[in-house]
Amino acid sequence: MVSSPRLAIALLIVVLACCVVGVTVFTPEPAWRLIFNTLWFNGLLVLLALSSGVTFLARTWGRKLTLVSVGMILFHVSFMSLLGGVVFNSLFHFKGVLRLTEGEILPNGDPASYDTVDAGRFFDFTRLRGETTLVKMHRGYKVDGQDKRAAYEIAVGEGSSKTTGIIYMTQNLDYRGVRYLVSKEGYSIGVVLHDKQGRELYAAMVPLQSLQRGENAHLYTTGSALAPGAFPFPPPPDSAALLLQVGYVPDQRKERAGQVEFFTWPVSQAVAGHDGARGAGHASGQAASIGGGKDTEPAASGKVAVGGTFDAGDYKLEAREVRYWVGMTVRRDPGLTVILSSLWAGLAGMTMTFIGRIVQDSKRGKREASSSEPGATAPKGVP
Amino acid sequence: MNVEQVLFWCAVGFYGLSAFAYVFGFIAENEKLLSGGLATAVLGFAAHLTSIALRWVTSSVTPFITISESLALGTLMAMALFLILQASNRKVRPLGVFVLPVVFVLIGWAGTLRAASGSQLAPALQSGWLWAHIVGATIGFSAVLMAAGLAMMFLLRENRSGGIYDRLPSPADLDRLAYRFVAAGFIMYGLMIVTGALWADQAKGSYWNWDPVEVWSLVSWLIYGIYLHLRITMGWRGRRLAWYALAAVAVMIVSYWGIPFSVETFHKGFRVEH
Ligand code: HEM
Repeated sequence: MVSSPRLAIALLIVVLACCVVGVTVFTPEPAWRLIFNTLWFNGLLVLLALSSGVTFLARTWGRKLTLVSVGMILFHVSFMSLLGGVVFNSLFHFKGVLRLTEGEILPNGDPASYDTVDAGRFFDFTRLRGETTLVKMHRGYKVDGQDKRAAYEIAVGEGSSKTTGIIYMTQNLDYRGVRYLVSKEGYSIGVVLHDKQGRELYAAMVPLQSLQRGENAHLYTTGSALAPGAFPFPPPPDSAALLLQVGYVPDQRKERAGQVEFFTWPVSQAVAGHDGARGAGHASGQAASIGGGKDTEPAASGKVAVGGTFDAGDYKLEAREVRYWVGMTVRRDPGLTVILSSLWAGLAGMTMTFIGRIVQDSKRGKREASSSEPGATAPKGVP
Repeated sequence: MNVEQVLFWCAVGFYGLSAFAYVFGFIAENEKLLSGGLATAVLGFAAHLTSIALRWVTSSVTPFITISESLALGTLMAMALFLILQASNRKVRPLGVFVLPVVFVLIGWAGTLRAASGSQLAPALQSGWLWAHIVGATIGFSAVLMAAGLAMMFLLRENRSGGIYDRLPSPADLDRLAYRFVAAGFIMYGLMIVTGALWADQAKGSYWNWDPVEVWSLVSWLIYGIYLHLRITMGWRGRRLAWYALAAVAVMIVSYWGIPFSVETFHKGFRVEH
């Protein structure tokens, strides 16, 4: 039953149909959820691998080993090992997004270090050892004259045995089977809260969202991925002094310089259901007024240069410095070696068969070649 | 219009003339027109090649990033393979009856989409895999296009003799040659998929994302995989397989240039928010 070519072909056609439906009927995201990432679809792939492998072997078993047949065997076996690798990997893999501001250190093995986590059923967090530091974010990083745009200098490891490296798009860092890849980056503002007398009460790096506002124009502000917003400052578990929204207008010529905008509201507004100020609709690298939702005018608002201090009534807010934060993708894919080597083996197998056939053809002469396949029926349509 | 543009449109014009000469030369069984088709195809190819070379030299960005550039490069490779085949086998001259109209339409379409080349290559594209990926894709496409052309010649030749038909290769030869090109195209397309996976792994950490470009390539690759099995495992030959090859190349063209570029995918480059 498993070795029936009909089953194999039927499975192949069903998989093909699912693929076509997945990319035509559904837009990418639901297709992933409804088809490509489901248990039944992956089960179908496994069945296809098994069935095609068994069918192929049943049909070719005992055949003389030639360049053609060895190539074919290599190809079909690699198809099976490829799917085996994919299944193994999906059970044991880990993928997380680690967000760090320059200078910050996070433990790798703590799920709380990651913004998002996607892991296989049998993945174990103790596999992620040590800690990760973002040493520096480099903008406009160049390698052999090519602009890599953003590169992250990171240190990974335990205690004194740390591995450091620079990663950028197409260059990642591998630390004991765990890979670090660049993903996205943004600004963090070092905000210091002072009392009226100028005594330092609290300091924190505040990461900003980058909200697209038209071609090449971004708004850098606190809030959600969709809109600007305020948050209690200091954040929990400390007790908040005020609700704060921070924006940043980078200096076009000087790195880590520019203007910082502050909007504050009394903490009581949070109780009244304040969900952050609504954003202004535009920014093009110039100052944009971010705050000023109609219903909740900020108690204080203003703009200072980086390094300056803003007077927010009962408190003073200092925009001490600008740093970068980055979101790195951290991955562990234990099936990767099998998968990638299967791909190469498959390609090698196909090439061997192809060369083998050409050699066969030229040896046998043209007349015979068209009926040389074992098991082939009489050529149809050929006089 | 700069020189590169002028050359590009010259290529389009020559290919148009060539397609016309081939089709009418074949219908009228006029050898002179067929030779004229080949001569204008060579002129078109020279202009085509020079225009791409000029674009490359003057812009410093490799000229195969946009859809128009991709089409121009794919058709250039197809023409190169076509001319090599013409040089090596005089009998397959009427292959131009199929190849040139297709090339003319594709490059004409590229012409309507032309845009100035970017000033720099997106970081995601600065990878050695890009080269192998594009070589695989363009040769793979060219090979299956030739296979479809040979399949069409098979269909024309089958059950006919006399005049121009006697100067064509025998149906059995056409059938076998078409299979060779499918097998070669299948390997090159496999190379494209494998290097594409390695490249995605290098840039994104995931070798396969089920994005529309990937899935469509897989579908068209498997369609050729089925062709090979129909021939080798099921013993199909001749007419049925020829029709299959013609249908398959249509799927290939749509999956290569039609759908992928109309959706937001990896192939549009990375948008690094900042
Ligand atoms: C559906 C399950 C499959 C079955 C039952 C199967 C079976 C076979 C068999 C029996 C042969 C040898 C034919 C002979 O010499 O008698 C063969 C050859 C081959 N198969 Fe498969 N196979 C399957 C899947 C695949 C897939 C998914 C691919 C890749 C797209 C593939 C690619 C090939 C290639 C490249 C050859 C050699 C063709 C040639 O000699 O030109 N097979 N297959």
